[in-house]
Amino acid sequence: MHRFMNKVCLVLFASFIWMNASRAQETFPENGTSDPRNAVYALVNAKVFADASLSIDSAVLLISKGKILDVGKNISIPGHALMIDMGGRHIYPSFIDLFSEYGLPEIKKEHRHDAGPQFLSSVKGAYGWNQAVRPEYNAHKHFSVDEKKAEELRKLGFGAVMSINRDGIVRGTSVLVCLGNDREHEMIIRDRAAANYSFHKGTSTQDYPSSLMGSIALLRQTYYDALWYKNGGYRKEYNISLDEFNKIQNLPQMFEAGDRQNILRASRIAGEFGVKYIIKGAGDEYRRADELKDSGLELVIPLNFPEAFDLSDPYDALNVSLEQMLHWEHAPANASRIEKSGIRFAFTLSDLKNKSDFMKNLRKAIEAGLSEQMALAALTEVPASMIGAQNEIGRLQKGMIANFMVCSRSLFEKDNVILENWVKGVRYKIHDTDLPDIRGNYSLRIGNDSLIRLRVSGEIIAPEFHYFQDTSFRKIQSSISGKVLNLVIQRKEQKQEKSIRLTAVLGSSAKQGLSGDALLPEGKWVKWTAQFDSSLSMIAPKDTSAKSVSRISEISYPNMSYGWKEKPKQIDVLFRNATVWTNEKEGILENADVYISQGRIVQVGQNLKMPAGATVIDASGKHLTSGIIDEHSHIAVSGSVNESTQSSSAEVRIGDVIDSDDIQIYRQLAGGVTSTHILHGSANAIGGQTQLIKLRWGQSAEKLKFENAPGFIKFALGENVKQSHWGDKQVVRFPQTRMGVEQVYVDYFTKAREYIESQKLQDKKVKHASQDPLRKDLELDAIAEILQSKRFITCHSYVQSEINMLMHVADNFGFKVNTFTHILEGYKVADKMKKHGVLGASSFSDWWAYKFEVYESIPHNGAILHRMGVNVAFNSDDAEMARRLNQEAAKAITYGGISREEAWKFVTLNPAIMLRVDQRVGSIKAGKDADLVLWSDDPLSVYARAIQTYVDGALYYDESLDLQLRGNIEKERARLTALMLEAKTKGEQTQKPVQKKQILKHCMDDEH
Amino acid sequence: MKSLVIFTLALLTLVFKAEAQNPAPADSQKSSVLIMNATAHIGNGTVIPNSAIGFENGKLTLIADARLIRLDKNAYDHVIDAGGMHAYPGLIACNTILGLAEIDLVRATLDHREVGEMNPHIRSLIAYNTDSRLIPTVRNNGVMLAQVVPQGGRISGQSSVLMLDGWNWEDAAYKTDLGIHLNWPRMYVAQSGDADKEKEREENQRKKMTRDLEELKKFFDEARGYFLEKKPAEVNQRFEAMKGLFSGEKKLFVHCNYVKEIRAAAEFASTYRLKMVLVGGADSWRVTDFLKEKNIPVVITSTHALPGREDDDIDLPYRLPYLLKKAGVDFAISTDGSWQVRNLAFHAGTASAYGLTKEEALESISLSPAKILGIDALTGSLETGKDATLIISEGDILDMSTHKVVKAFIQGRELNLDDVQKQLNEKYLQKYGLEKAK
Repeated sequence: MHRFMNKVCLVLFASFIWMNASRAQETFPENGTSDPRNAVYALVNAKVFADASLSIDSAVLLISKGKILDVGKNISIPGHALMIDMGGRHIYPSFIDLFSEYGLPEIKKEHRHDAGPQFLSSVKGAYGWNQAVRPEYNAHKHFSVDEKKAEELRKLGFGAVMSINRDGIVRGTSVLVCLGNDREHEMIIRDRAAANYSFHKGTSTQDYPSSLMGSIALLRQTYYDALWYKNGGYRKEYNISLDEFNKIQNLPQMFEAGDRQNILRASRIAGEFGVKYIIKGAGDEYRRADELKDSGLELVIPLNFPEAFDLSDPYDALNVSLEQMLHWEHAPANASRIEKSGIRFAFTLSDLKNKSDFMKNLRKAIEAGLSEQMALAALTEVPASMIGAQNEIGRLQKGMIANFMVCSRSLFEKDNVILENWVKGVRYKIHDTDLPDIRGNYSLRIGNDSLIRLRVSGEIIAPEFHYFQDTSFRKIQSSISGKVLNLVIQRKEQKQEKSIRLTAVLGSSAKQGLSGDALLPEGKWVKWTAQFDSSLSMIAPKDTSAKSVSRISEISYPNMSYGWKEKPKQIDVLFRNATVWTNEKEGILENADVYISQGRIVQVGQNLKMPAGATVIDASGKHLTSGIIDEHSHIAVSGSVNESTQSSSAEVRIGDVIDSDDIQIYRQLAGGVTSTHILHGSANAIGGQTQLIKLRWGQSAEKLKFENAPGFIKFALGENVKQSHWGDKQVVRFPQTRMGVEQVYVDYFTKAREYIESQKLQDKKVKHASQDPLRKDLELDAIAEILQSKRFITCHSYVQSEINMLMHVADNFGFKVNTFTHILEGYKVADKMKKHGVLGASSFSDWWAYKFEVYESIPHNGAILHRMGVNVAFNSDDAEMARRLNQEAAKAITYGGISREEAWKFVTLNPAIMLRVDQRVGSIKAGKDADLVLWSDDPLSVYARAIQTYVDGALYYDESLDLQLRGNIEKERARLTALMLEAKTKGEQTQKPVQKKQILKHCMDDEH
Repeated sequence: MKSLVIFTLALLTLVFKAEAQNPAPADSQKSSVLIMNATAHIGNGTVIPNSAIGFENGKLTLIADARLIRLDKNAYDHVIDAGGMHAYPGLIACNTILGLAEIDLVRATLDHREVGEMNPHIRSLIAYNTDSRLIPTVRNNGVMLAQVVPQGGRISGQSSVLMLDGWNWEDAAYKTDLGIHLNWPRMYVAQSGDADKEKEREENQRKKMTRDLEELKKFFDEARGYFLEKKPAEVNQRFEAMKGLFSGEKKLFVHCNYVKEIRAAAEFASTYRLKMVLVGGADSWRVTDFLKEKNIPVVITSTHALPGREDDDIDLPYRLPYLLKKAGVDFAISTDGSWQVRNLAFHAGTASAYGLTKEEALESISLSPAKILGIDALTGSLETGKDATLIISEGDILDMSTHKVVKAFIQGRELNLDDVQKQLNEKYLQKYGLEKAK
C-alpha cells in the first residue's frame, strides 16, 4: 500500500514545482518579455543540519538565486524576503552520489557475431591503440537533464551526483551535476569533476584484454605511455588518448574496482604510480578491512545487501555456501566496520537493484552499528570533499549551492518522510505538506446502505484507508490530488467483486468528517458521508524491536568455510622420533628429532635437547618431510589464467590477480602442499609472468607471495599456442603452426635485445634534454629480463621438435631455458636438455592421450630424464591432483624404478631447485623455512595422510583442527539457516538457492 | 635354413616393435597352470598367505592354502613360483569409455557420444576398438574387464562388459548390452555466470527441469506400453531396446550426483520396477537408508575427486566408499574416462587410506563390480569354477609405490604385458645406453 501511495504522490507532484523552474539563460535569446527572478527566500523555524556534526535549532535558512545567503539563528531577514515557516521540521544538506550514471546516454554493447579476432581499436581517428582506454571521453559533453530520473533521485534525498560513463578501463572525465529540472547549463556544477577507471573493458570490441590481469597490465602500460608522451613522445606521434590521459591526471581519480580483492589490486596500482584513487567497492570491504586501512585509500560503497536465501528445501539449501550465508549476515555491518577501521568512505546508490531500498538499507547499516553522524557525512560532506567540491555542496553554509531537503522527522528515523528536496534553490515538493490530518475512525454510509466502519491510518501525507467487512479490515485504494480525495472500495456482492468509487474534497481536519459523491457499480450516483467517531486509539506501536542489534559472528579469514577466527601464528615445535626425509645427504633418518622456531628449521638430529617454550610432538611411527612444492598450478587466480588474445602477453602478471580466498588453498594444505607456482595458461607462445605463493590460508593475496622468489614467465608450445582447439573461426592469429612459433620467439627476443641496447643508450645520454625518451614497454621489459637472466622461463611443451627448437633459440640469444613444464616427450631429447643446461623438467607422472601431441607420452618419462641427469619434478596443473602429489611421485617408482628417496624429491627438492628457491625450501636442513609435513605413513604410500602441515613454522593444517573447523561449518550453517528461515517467515524478500560455479582452471582454460 | 627363418622372424619382430604395436592377443589356454606361494587376495575379503592356485581350460580349479593341502605339482603343465608376490582376481572397471575414445581432442578418434536425447538402441559393443593403444596400458595395471559405456544425451545407450584382450569385439565380448544408461535431468539451478541475465537464466533452468522430467516420464511410459503390446503396429527401435529393462534382463544405470536427483531417480525406477544402479552418487552418503531399502548399488565414479561443494568435508570423495560400507550400501569404485582407467587400483587404495580395509578396497574393484554387472557367477573373485582371470603383482597392487603386475591371465590365457609405452621406454633406454630398470 505504501509503495502504491508513493506512486500516487509522485504522479501528483511531478508538476508541482513551486517556483519558475526554467529561468532565463544568460547567453540565450528570450522569446517574450524578460522575466528575471531574484527573490529571496527565508525558511524559518527549522532545525538545520549545517553539516553532519552541527545542527541548529530554530534556525533560518536564507537563499536566493540558487545559493545560500546565510544560515543560522540570529540572521537578519531582508524585508522583501519570502518567508516560509518550516514548523520545526528538519533540514539537511541533500545527498551526493559520486557514482552515478544519471543523464548519460545508455551504454550499448555491440555484439560481434561470427567474427574473427580484432587486434586493434575500431575507433577512427588519432586515438590510442586500445578501445578500452578512452581518456578523451567527457561526460559533460553527453549530459542531458533527465527529469524522470532526477525526480526519482530527489525523492530519495539526492541533490547532486557525479555522472560517470561506466565504459572501459580508462573512462575519461565525469561530470558533477545538480538534480534539478533546469537546463543542463544550470545543472552542471563541474564539467570535469573526476577522471575514471575500472578493470572492465566495457563495450570495447577489441580482443585485448580478455582477462583481469590483462586489464591491469593495459592500465599500467597506459600510465607509462602517457609519461613517455609527455616527456617527448608527442614529437614522435600525435595521440589524442595519451594527450587527454595526461590532462586528466590533476583531477580527482575515481576507480570502480569491485570486490575487496579488486580494491587491493587497484590500490597497488595507485601505489605504483603515486596516484590517489577514490575506490568504488562492492560492499564486502569488511572482509579485508585491515588491509584496506593500510592502503590508505578512500572508498565509495554501495548499500546492496543480499536477500536471504529461501532455505525451505533442505536439499537445495546444500547448494548455498557458508560464504554466501555469512555475506548476507555481514553486509549490513560493512559500513560500520569501515567506520571503525577509520577509512574515509562515501555511499552510493549504485548496485542497488531496487533504488527504493536505499533508505531502508541505510537504516539497517545504522542498526548494525554505523553512527548516524557518519551515515549523514558519507552522503554529504565526505563525497563533496573527495572530489574537492566541499565549498559548493554537501553542507549548508553561506555561499554554497542551495541543495537541501526538508524532513518530517529526524533523517534516519523509521517514519521520517522526505517532504521536500530543494535543488539549486528550487523547491521540489515530494509530498504535499499542506494536507490536513484526517486520520481516525469513521462511520461510513454510502447512499442508503447501512453503516460500515472506515479507518484512516498511516502518515498524514499518505493516509491509508480500510473498511470493515465480515470479520476483517479490507484495504481501500486511495489517491489524493490537491484537496480532492478518491477512494475505490472493492466489495463482495453476491459472490462478485464490485467497485464503488467515492470522491470528496478534504476539509481542514478529521473532525469535520468526509462527504461527497459516490458512483455505484451499476452507474448510479449517490451521496456518501463518513462521520468522525474517534481518533486512532493507538498509532502503530513504534518499532518495539528497535535497537535489538543482533549479534553477528566474528569475521573469519577468509570469511567462509574453513576460515580462521585467528590467523595461524608461528610456533616453536620439537618433533620427536620421526622418520625424517631430509632430502639432504643425510637421507632418510629414523627416530630423528627436528626443532623449528620463528619460522625456521633450527636443528635436525637425534635426542635433541628440549628447548624452552617449544611444543613437543611425538612423531614416532610418523614421517616428517619438507612441504610439497607444485611447479605448475592454476589455483587461486581471479579471472582467466590466460590473456589469450595475442601471441605474446609477457606484460601480464599472475601476481596481480592472486585470489587469496580460493578453498583449494586449504584443500591442498591437507595434501601436504606448502608452496605452489601459479602459472599463466598456455594460450600463447609467450604467456604471462607467474607467481610463486606459499599456502598461507587466510592471509591476503600480497601476503601469500613467496618473498623474493626469482621471477618466472610462462611460455608455451604446440597445439594450444597454435589454437588447434579453438574452433574454425580462430585461424587468423599468428602463429598457426610450430614453424610460426619459432619466429614469434626470434622476433621478440630480437626486439628485446634492441630494447636493451636503446636502454643503455638512453642511460648514457640521460643529460641531453632534447633526446627522445625511450618508451617503457612492459612486454619487452619482461622479455629483456629473460635475456639478462633476471627472469626465467617455464615452458609448456610436449613434442620433441619444439623442445629442441626453443633450446636452439635460447642458445642463439645466449640464455638458458630454465624449466620445461609438462615436457612429456622430454625423454626423447633428454640428452639435448642436459647439454643445454635445463634446470628443470616438470612433468606429469602418467598423463597421456588427451590430445594428439601427447600420444607418445610415457609414464617412464620422469625416470629417463632423471637418469639422464636432468632435474625432474612432477606437477599437478590440476586442483584435484595437487592434493595427492605424493602419490604421483610414487609412480616414478612403479614405472621408472626410481628409488624412494629420489622419487620423493620429485615433488619437494627438485621443484625448489628449478624455481630457484632451494636455499629456502625443499629439504629439512637447519636454516631453511619451516615448511613441513607430518605424515601418517611413508609419504609415497597410497595410505599416507598429511596429519599436520606447517608453513613458516605456523600450523596451517592439522587433522584434529580440521575436524573442529568442520564442526564450526555445521554450527554456523545451522545458525544462519535458522535466521534465514525466520527472515522468510517475517515476509522478507528471499532468493532461491543457486549452485555456485566451482571454478577449476587448467592451462587451456579460456574465456571463449 | 630353419634357423635362418627364425632369425628373420626375430628381426621382423624387432622392426615391428620399433613401429610401436599392441601385442597379439593370447591364445586360449591349452596347458594347465599352478601358481605357488603367492599371497592370494580372493576378492571377497579373504586372504590366503601361502596359496596354491590352479587353473585349466580357462577355469580356476584350485584355490587353497599350500601348507594345508597335498599337491601334485606334476599334474600341472606349468608351475609358477610367486613367492613374495600377490595374486588378485582380474580387476573390473565400471563406467569407462575405453575402446571408444582414443585421443580426447582428436574428433576422428572419438566414438563415445552419439547425437540425440533418447538413444537406448545405441550399443557400445560394436564400436569397441580392440586395437586401441590405451587398452594394453590399462590391463598392464591389472584391469582385465571393463564396462564400456556410451555417453551423452538423456539416454546414452547400452553398455557391455569386454575383456581387455581380443582380436575383435566379438572375441572380447564378455557380457553384452547389459544395461541402459540414463543421465538423470539436473534438478538444481546453477549459476549462469552472466550477471545481467542471471534471473532469466535461472527461470529458464527451472522450466527446463520440469520439461525434462516430463519428457523422460513420457518416454518410459510409452516404452512400457510398447513392451506390453503383443504386436506393435510399427517397429520402434528405441522401444525395442527398452524391452530388456521392463523384462528385467537389463539394468538401468542412472548417472547423477545430487541427492535430490538420486531420490527422484530411485523413485522413478521403482515405479517401473526396474533394477537400478546409481552411477556417480557424490551425495549418496546422505541417503544410505533409502538406497538400502530400495536395494540400489552405487558405482562411485572416482575417489580422486574434489568435494562437490565448498563447505564439504575436504576428504569427502576419499571417504565416500567408507561411508557407504559403514551404512551397508553395495558399491563399486570406478574411474571414468579411458586412459585414466589404469589408475583404478589407486582409487581403491585411496579409499583404503580413508576407512576401508585393504581387502574391502580390493573387493570394490573386483567382486563388487562383478555383482553390479551381473557377472559374479563367472568372475570377480578367485574361487574355483570361476574364470581364471587373475593377476600377479610383485607388491600391493593398491599402492602405486609397490604396484607391479608381472603376470596376467584372462580365462586362463596368459597375456603379453607389452604395450606401446613400454616399447617407447625401451627404445630410448637403448638410445641412451641405459639399463632397463628393475
